[in-house]
Amino acid sequence: MNKLGLLVKQLYLQKIKSKSFILLTLLYLAIIAVAVNWSSIKGIFTDDNKYVTIALVDDTKLDLAKQFPSDKEVKFKVVKESKKEVDALVKKEKYDAAVYLTSKDQQLAVELATAKSLDLQVQSKIDALAENAGKVYSVQQLNLSAEQAAKILQTNTVVKQVDLQEKTSNKTAEEKSAGILIAYIMGFLIYLFVTSYLSMITTDIASEKGSRVLEVLMASVKPSTHLFSKLIGVFLTGLTQIVILAVGAYILIQFTAKKSVTDSLQEMLGQLPATYFIYVILFFLLSIILFLLIGALAGSLVSKVEEASQVMMPGVFIMLIGFYVMLSGISNPDSLLIKVFSYIPFTSGMLMTLRLGATDISTVSVWISLAILFATVALLFTISVTFYKRSVLTYSSGGIMQKIKTVLKVTT
Amino acid sequence: MTLEVRQVTKKYKDFVAVNALDFTINEGEVFGLIGQNGAGKTTTFRMILNLQDTTEGTILWKGKSVHKLERDFLGYLPEERGIYPQMKIEEQLYFFGMLKGKSKKELKTEIQYWLERFELTDKRNDKAETLSKGNQQKVQLIASFIHKPEFLILDEPFSGLDPVNRQLLMDAILDLKKQGTTILFSSHQMDNVEELCDHLCILKRGVSLYTGGLQELKALYGKIKLSIRTAKTKPELEVLEGVERVEQTRDGYTLYLQDESYGEALYQAISEGFYMDKFSMDYLSLDEIFKLKVGAPNE
Repeated sequence: MNKLGLLVKQLYLQKIKSKSFILLTLLYLAIIAVAVNWSSIKGIFTDDNKYVTIALVDDTKLDLAKQFPSDKEVKFKVVKESKKEVDALVKKEKYDAAVYLTSKDQQLAVELATAKSLDLQVQSKIDALAENAGKVYSVQQLNLSAEQAAKILQTNTVVKQVDLQEKTSNKTAEEKSAGILIAYIMGFLIYLFVTSYLSMITTDIASEKGSRVLEVLMASVKPSTHLFSKLIGVFLTGLTQIVILAVGAYILIQFTAKKSVTDSLQEMLGQLPATYFIYVILFFLLSIILFLLIGALAGSLVSKVEEASQVMMPGVFIMLIGFYVMLSGISNPDSLLIKVFSYIPFTSGMLMTLRLGATDISTVSVWISLAILFATVALLFTISVTFYKRSVLTYSSGGIMQKIKTVLKVTT
Repeated sequence: MTLEVRQVTKKYKDFVAVNALDFTINEGEVFGLIGQNGAGKTTTFRMILNLQDTTEGTILWKGKSVHKLERDFLGYLPEERGIYPQMKIEEQLYFFGMLKGKSKKELKTEIQYWLERFELTDKRNDKAETLSKGNQQKVQLIASFIHKPEFLILDEPFSGLDPVNRQLLMDAILDLKKQGTTILFSSHQMDNVEELCDHLCILKRGVSLYTGGLQELKALYGKIKLSIRTAKTKPELEVLEGVERVEQTRDGYTLYLQDESYGEALYQAISEGFYMDKFSMDYLSLDEIFKLKVGAPNE
């Protein structure tokens, strides 16, 4: 085995056998298991027999009670007592709440009386039912025929989108909403993996430098070989974890998740074209390499492992900025901010992934962003080889800038 | 000649770390590179190891520039110990040996031999961090020569060792020398340098103050250290002709002379014709020469 292979093997085996790797992978698998079985888990903690009873007092004479159908969570009971009597019953907790329907200025007035606060879910349900009852009330006021009334109430306008620019992806609303969810998951994964592997490579190099093993290694291999071995070793560790999680997630979804979950996942994934996933993988891999390079350089700057967190902060901050910009795109993924950050190589992994999934973006834009990211990786890689040779055996105190200045003084 | 350091200078911007250093090491000899902290020893080692480029001058190994050579011909023990704290000892030795191009099979016998010789066989599956400092030092030393290098650089190999372990390591280094390994050695403990080195170079702020044989260096100063036991007092001795300095010791005095030619006259003056149970003229120790040379302000 050549020296590079030997160093990669040593690092890779050390990492995947480490307790932190095993525990973190198990933790991620546990999170995935909880996520895919969320409805079943929620069921364990939710009492199916527990429902809210609401007294319904209809003073409108239009028989609006049928607009308030009972279900598993809310039971409506039509009562004839006076408001005062019903209020008293609510106070005595015979009912959880009371809904009063009255006519006022030819409009439906709905009052919800409670003695204790209702769950947000129940309250939202009552709001929705009341809104619908209000529409029915208004329609009935117009003295329309049953057919005419039904037509108005069941109106469903479909917007068909036609994109005149053929370059763009022309997604439907369903594709966009599926895309935005997948994009967030992918963006979050990129953030999670990049920060954890950035930390892994920085700490690894810093600890080798701090324990002076690096000096012994440098007497055996070239600095560039050492740098490559770190990049490849950590990259392979990351890939191993991703493969384990992907296989684990697949098994969990196939064998433990409810059919409804599997179906909705398939439907969601089906909304996105295969090219989307190819782009995501490209952005993901290039972003990891970029941040591994930053992490390796950061690790080579420190004198001891305790300083590792200090030097990796800029890299983590850049990721955090990208992450928050991505979060800001929940309401509007087409904003200028998102567009700008989707071209910046340090954040394009997350932001272009979001735009790809949730907006109509032209292929040219994606390729431009990919090209910028690739060029940055190539440039940083070239700089790293020279810089690493200088920094890896330079020990200095002070902040990051001071350390960089010291390294630049060293003309190897 | 194996290693040739030819007029080597290393500059960092305006700071000159090593200035026109020039020495050669013959095959199978132990060469000492000594100097205070910051004298330029580590920089010199790093240039020989090809970890840093020279600003001027060349470094050759058997006539070839070290830049053009694979690093497998040499072994290196850094001043600050460098082993993986979490890795098992045996695993560690295999790793470093294989990194120097040896196969597992080739290393097996060597590792067994050295672990046994350094009394570490029962600890071979222990993690390095669980070992005492002395044992870690032994592991580090084995790792530096397990691949049987032609050239070995040892930077402070005895620091922090008890006398028993020091002797164990000293014997191992002498054995390597006998087997033909060329060794470049650095230590702040001059008795170690005296015991091991044939030739040496004394560095001060990157400049060589002396390069040559150890005995030749001692001969330069001559036998100017006079140890005596006498009833005379220190002030009486200090005024004697040819005496530069007097130090009181546990069982007498040590007189440092301007020249060894004053010996006979001083014997007459101190003994005054009577018997003296101690009158001995010696060469200065390397430690004393080092202090004289490095301590001198403008040498």
